[in-house]
Amino acid sequence: MGGIEESERPLKRVKVPSGGSDSLSANLSLTEPREPASGFSLRDSMAWSPSSQGDKDAIGSKGIIKRPEFIKIITRALYSLGYSKSGDQLQKESGIPLHSTVVDLFRQQVVEGKWDESVDTLHRIGLSDEYIVKSASFMILEQKFLELLKKEKIKDALSTLRNEIVPLSINVSRVHELAAYIIFPSSSAVGGPSSQDAAGSKSQSAILEKLQKLFPAAIMIPEKRLEQLVEQALDVQRDACAYHNTFDSELSLYSDHHCGTNHIPSQTLQVLQAHCDEVWFLQFSHNGKYLASSSKDRSAIIWEVKDDGEVSLKHKLTGHQREVSIVSWSPDDQQLLTCGVEESIRRWDVNSGECLHIYEKAGVGLISCGWFPGGKGVFSGMTDKSICLWDLDGRELESWKGQRTLKISDIAITDDGKRIMTMCRENAILLLDREAKCEKLIKENQMITSFSLSKDNKYLLVNLFNQEIHLWRLGGDPDVVSRYRGHKRTRFLIRSCFGGLEQAFIASGSEDSKVYVWHRDTPEPLFALPGHSGAVNCVSWSPTNPHMLASGSDDYTIRIWGLDQVKLKNRDNQKNGINHHSKGKT
Amino acid sequence: MGRLFVVSLEGKIYSCKHCRTHLALSEDIVSKSFHCRHGKAYLFNKVVNVSVGVHEERMMMTGMHTVADIFCVGCGSIVGWRYETAHEKLQKYKEGKSVLERFKVSGPDGSNYWITPEAHVGGSDADDA
Repeated sequence: MGGIEESERPLKRVKVPSGGSDSLSANLSLTEPREPASGFSLRDSMAWSPSSQGDKDAIGSKGIIKRPEFIKIITRALYSLGYSKSGDQLQKESGIPLHSTVVDLFRQQVVEGKWDESVDTLHRIGLSDEYIVKSASFMILEQKFLELLKKEKIKDALSTLRNEIVPLSINVSRVHELAAYIIFPSSSAVGGPSSQDAAGSKSQSAILEKLQKLFPAAIMIPEKRLEQLVEQALDVQRDACAYHNTFDSELSLYSDHHCGTNHIPSQTLQVLQAHCDEVWFLQFSHNGKYLASSSKDRSAIIWEVKDDGEVSLKHKLTGHQREVSIVSWSPDDQQLLTCGVEESIRRWDVNSGECLHIYEKAGVGLISCGWFPGGKGVFSGMTDKSICLWDLDGRELESWKGQRTLKISDIAITDDGKRIMTMCRENAILLLDREAKCEKLIKENQMITSFSLSKDNKYLLVNLFNQEIHLWRLGGDPDVVSRYRGHKRTRFLIRSCFGGLEQAFIASGSEDSKVYVWHRDTPEPLFALPGHSGAVNCVSWSPTNPHMLASGSDDYTIRIWGLDQVKLKNRDNQKNGINHHSKGKT
Repeated sequence: MGRLFVVSLEGKIYSCKHCRTHLALSEDIVSKSFHCRHGKAYLFNKVVNVSVGVHEERMMMTGMHTVADIFCVGCGSIVGWRYETAHEKLQKYKEGKSVLERFKVSGPDGSNYWITPEAHVGGSDADDA
């Protein structure tokens, strides 16, 4: 705790006229003795009197901040930060003491361990709530008791307990415990003699902190009150920010925080041309350092994302004899799975680009793939409607048969490996619980084309045949919480994904060559980003950089989208005035 | 072209003559007595893997209807039309159903249909007998 308060010194107060107005009694200078008779000291009443003069003591544009309160919490903050000289100076200059004299005295006595005197002073502070007085006395006397015990003055300790603590008649169970310490002085709760004595002053200030929490804030200004108020203001700003997409570390005190739509990626930063045919799927690695894309040209590419955001080709993975429909990153991002349409699954090493294993099943084509949580196994959906789980070497571990669709089948597994989600018939997604061996169905009234699972495994984003995207909340009874429209889909498999800070945004490809971005709470798109010259098949939002979005298209290219720097600069230049945000979310 | 989203059917399948995309099942046939410019056409309860064109009012053999042409998603060729609304009560049963031109599809046994000289030149549509 910074700055254990003022040491003993006479406090000469000179009242400085506030606001420079002469109407105030300008030359009110007073010096007075330190020990006033009762409750609030004379000084305190003098300090409060200007408030009766009206708005001189309300500061701020709305006139609701009381001047003495404001100065007191600033003084407190100065002490907490360790600037006790500044704290003293502020009290002098403003004429507003942090605490009344009695309270100062009380604090001092507690710090010095003068328990009896402090209990007396406590009664003179004039607290209206009896309970507080009693609790505070209890704490102080408890400390006195423990000290006496340590010094082995058992009789004194006992008398303290009997004559001073018990009459308070509160916290009886603790009284019993204290009584027990007399009989068992080595009880660990008392603490070894070395630890207590060595940290002598530390324990005094610990008492002071505990006492502080008991007192009403007006008597003893709580520590860190100013910091608390500032944090509250930041919270309000953050909550009011409708399209919040920046890290907390970027919040500034200098101006109100307001993302607007400027913090959502909306400008093409890079166009990656390396595929020789349509790009069908792409996904960022979990650590955001790599991007993997797969294409109709039967290859997959691993791209590296540098720290400055530049994306460059790392490896081209060839070997599949069919188009590569999907890629999947291992949980540790060291390996990648690729799936050839109705063909096989290949496992690759990310660093070397080598193919480590090929998973196939005789007579059956593989149509989807994913990693088992922990990276210990690989699972895949097949053309014979079953799902198979292999270990890394290709040994079959488990297999589920049943109703699955044939041709295009998305599959997902929760992070704990307990639930598998797969397409089942045209309108439904099957939630298979591996442990409970039970199945739940998410039914739509439309054909489902694809789906993706959110990072927290609580939501499922389902793409429908009729150009709607539905957000399902999983849980006991899955239900639809949001619907999004705007993009185009008539013939192709178009994918969507979650993204942005805390996955508050949805992005989707579209057959009209644009990338669509929604905020989770609004059904209308925020952006329809032009740029591609062919249908956008897939999108992926970087999990670590909320300002980076990637899209893959029939025009053989991948686009990396980022913040519109020009718009950002313009906004910052406008922000120099004080913004009063009176309304909340739009 | 993108990754086509196609549904697979099981059973006796009618598929697109050009690209063999599944279009409908034999069990969904409502009537085989429909006609179009290219000869015979069947009315189906349900047709899949088609994209729907613009709605327009068309005078058919049985009266005014609102129809939309349907196209195979695989190759884009026109395969028939869908009835959106029928203006006469007797024809209401057609609403929501689709007609596939026999000339444009391959039957369940792979058979195809060739335009015969006696093809109905008069127009499209027909009643259920």
